Amino acid sequence: MPAVLTVDPRSGVPIYLQIIEQVKRSVALGVLQAGEQLPTVKQLALDLTVNPNTVARAYRELERDEIIETAPGRGSFVRSNGSATSPKSAAVDVARDALDAALREVKSVGLSRAEVRDLIDAAVDRWFPEER
Amino acid sequence: MSTIQISHLRKAYGGSAAVDDLSLEIPAGSVFGLLGPNGAGKTTTFKCMLGLARSDGGAILYDGKPLVPATFERIAYVPERSVLYDWMTVAEHVEMIRRAFASFVPARALELLAQFNVDPRKRARALSKGMRTAVMVAIAFARNADVLILDEPTSGLDPVNQRHVLSLIINEAARGCSVVFSSHQIGQVERAAEQIAILDHGRCVLQGLVDDLKADRKIVEGILPDSSFSLNGIVSDPRIARVDRVERIVRLLVLRDADDIAAKLSAAGAAGVRTVDLNLEDIFLYAVSPADATADVVAAENLP
Repeated sequence: MPAVLTVDPRSGVPIYLQIIEQVKRSVALGVLQAGEQLPTVKQLALDLTVNPNTVARAYRELERDEIIETAPGRGSFVRSNGSATSPKSAAVDVARDALDAALREVKSVGLSRAEVRDLIDAAVDRWFPEER
Repeated sequence: MSTIQISHLRKAYGGSAAVDDLSLEIPAGSVFGLLGPNGAGKTTTFKCMLGLARSDGGAILYDGKPLVPATFERIAYVPERSVLYDWMTVAEHVEMIRRAFASFVPARALELLAQFNVDPRKRARALSKGMRTAVMVAIAFARNADVLILDEPTSGLDPVNQRHVLSLIINEAARGCSVVFSSHQIGQVERAAEQIAILDHGRCVLQGLVDDLKADRKIVEGILPDSSFSLNGIVSDPRIARVDRVERIVRLLVLRDADDIAAKLSAAGAAGVRTVDLNLEDIFLYAVSPADATADVVAAENLP
């Protein structure tokens, strides 16, 4: 698990958001499986060399998003069921964030909604040719 | 666990104030990074916190109480400059500290010295600058303290040992120790600190959680129709701390709600509006540097 996570503290993206994003991504890709145990807050803080309270904040938000659950004294685990935890919904989260970032950039160049829709349709055709 | 409250601290040397009306609250068990240009007042603040310098005004409270010898016993300090005695060996320093502080764990100090590859039989005079730092760090981290005050605790160390010091800080924080440290290496503060304060000319110009500052503070950038285009409707917004204009390009330092400000800038007629993340170094430089003299600065008075 620790090898899966890396953070870039020098980026402008808050570290706790980087951790959340990567755990969601790992669940979406099946790298982290239902029931799998996450490192303790202290262990992950030491592995990443980041502040323990920052890691704790990421874990709290992942609990709120129902991606992980924490059993007192036993540690934190990827949730085994519930709609919010399925790899599918985690994948949707990751994809939505990626599209939001791309569209924010697209919007800045001043195209109309219709023009952007045409571009997206063309891009989807390009990336998913087999399902046309 | 110790909450440290600094209120309206003032310390002048000669006629000039090194620290001027400084107020900070350092929560128990947090890692707090103190940033500032040279001469901003970081070391003076540390000395006042330790009772090594007498303040000219204000108060410093540990868990609501002023510094007394019993509190001092619970604070470990790594000074910016070496305080080792040249003629003494490293092992003799360890012995000296053992006699001075009941909670000091000599075996832990020797273990840390070994991790830093420092031979305890060496005299301090034979140590490089980095190794002297390592000795002071090893001694401080073996004090089993409730509060660690670290003034440039990685100065002179190689990157491997710098990272080791950060790991030690994180380890102490995880067991509930409050750590206050300064470093010119902003990347280290960005990693290890949960909260920061930026000092400039003896005053605190910015304080907050590193992650929240990054989430809130952004640059919103856009291209205006022409260089005389008026932004009067936008720059009065209190969420905009600074406006830099060069020809048709405008850059706004936004304190929060960057998406909203970006939408306003687009609606006002700017093209190519985008939002740029700021890392701690960017945030630091904006906080301590006057606006670019070549740019037309409009709203700098809203800082921070």
